[in-house]
Amino acid sequence: MSHFFADTAALTGRSLKHITRSLDTIITTALMPIAFLLLFVYVFGGAIQTGSHTSYVNYLLPGILLITVATGISYTAFRLFLDLKGGTFERFQSMPITRSSVLWAHVLTSLVANVVSIAVVVLVGVLIGFRTAAGIGGWLAVAGILLLFTLALTWVAVIPGLTAKSADGTSAFSYPLIFLPFISSAFVPTASMPGPVRWFAEYQPVTSIVDSIRALFAGSSVGGDLWIALGWMVGILVVAYAFAQLAYRRRIA
Amino acid sequence: MTTISTTQIVPASERKLKNHTSIAQTVSNSLVMAYRGLVKFRRTPEQFFDVTLQPILFTVMFTFLFGGALAGDIKGYLPTIIPGVLAQTVITASVVTGVQLREDMDKGVFDRFRSLPIARIAPLAGALTADTLRYAIATTITFLTGFAIGWRPEGGFLGLVLAGLLIVAVAWAISWIFAFFGVIARTASSVQGISFMVLFPLTFLSNAYVDTSTMPNWLRWFADVNPVSHVITAMRALVASQPVGADVWWTLLGAAVVVLVFAPLTVRAYMRKA
Repeated sequence: MSHFFADTAALTGRSLKHITRSLDTIITTALMPIAFLLLFVYVFGGAIQTGSHTSYVNYLLPGILLITVATGISYTAFRLFLDLKGGTFERFQSMPITRSSVLWAHVLTSLVANVVSIAVVVLVGVLIGFRTAAGIGGWLAVAGILLLFTLALTWVAVIPGLTAKSADGTSAFSYPLIFLPFISSAFVPTASMPGPVRWFAEYQPVTSIVDSIRALFAGSSVGGDLWIALGWMVGILVVAYAFAQLAYRRRIA
Repeated sequence: MTTISTTQIVPASERKLKNHTSIAQTVSNSLVMAYRGLVKFRRTPEQFFDVTLQPILFTVMFTFLFGGALAGDIKGYLPTIIPGVLAQTVITASVVTGVQLREDMDKGVFDRFRSLPIARIAPLAGALTADTLRYAIATTITFLTGFAIGWRPEGGFLGLVLAGLLIVAVAWAISWIFAFFGVIARTASSVQGISFMVLFPLTFLSNAYVDTSTMPNWLRWFADVNPVSHVITAMRALVASQPVGADVWWTLLGAAVVVLVFAPLTVRAYMRKA
């Protein structure tokens, strides 16, 4: 077990070096969510009726944070694909290191990169008027949700990273994930949507996650949304982890 | 003894060669080149994705996801969104003219055209003519999508035709700008990059999706003077059977000015390269 931690730490250090040498990837990751944030706050924000007294930037930011994660994980799949294509995995196989640490290194790197991107987006949010009533406990809870969400989606990203035939294929899977917050309560209340769309929006995972983060930021009671959100994230994490391990075993067999 | 017949070679100075083409031949050559563009579309149908899928996706997405929150109900949002999406789609589609022009020039196709006895302007004019079909397709699909989800414009068929002709004319005028970029740019991707940087703010920071009165003052000022807003307001007036206001005339004048400025610039730059 100690080998696993040591190997994972060493390989994570290697992956983090790649990121620090190409900081533009983090900037690019944060650019699209920031563009959405500015577009919706300034262009649509005044016209959107959220049904609450809170400013639209406060309403919108939780959803934008999830889009930031969805954008960021496509880079994880891409980096994994490059390692496979470049023959790095074969070299690791010939070394006396724990096999699973190779994947975990990429996952932990994704967590670090996404934390930085999220921090950048939150900073922009604060600059354009985002204010929160959350205390330290609320912020820690939000951080926990976002970390779990990132972890779950990163393991989802590992699957195309291992199985894609081309570099374009590695990032294509993230488009539905980026689009999912649009069909949720992230941008507008689900009550304003027509029947079938509203039904889908209310029962998909993003809505419960967004509503939980929004409630935590507002300093109000979270209610059952948090448990539904945690259920979704843990479920996605377990299933994605199992499939990723299966794909990895097939790949290195 | 056999005699060898020799052909008399006439010096170039004494030969009667035409170094210009008549207007009729230029039009004919341009139409042939336009047909070439249409054949290219048929062989690569993915070139139509931006004018077929984009209007459907944007109309459906904005109407069903945001329509209720933006306008109170979906039906009330349709008169705003349909002309807005149409303007955005068709104006964005005009970029393709410049991109494909650059790609053709990079492939060396234009070098082959130069060796043919055709009007030198024909490949350029043909490309611009062929692209009007793409604008017409985008217009038709956007209107049909609107009809499918319950939009019933008061202007009737005539209003739709007039609005359609207006946006096609505007897109054709704008395509001269991108044709100019296509001729002078180094790569097709740079044409796409420049155009995206220009068109993204122009189309979104307008009255395409929301009334400008809901925007912050500094943004409202920009959205109100934005030429795209005038085009959209003009189209809304035409499809709603409202009196033809100043926006229609400003739009037509703007399109004419763009053509008067960029057509000569593009032709000059093109002739220098071709």
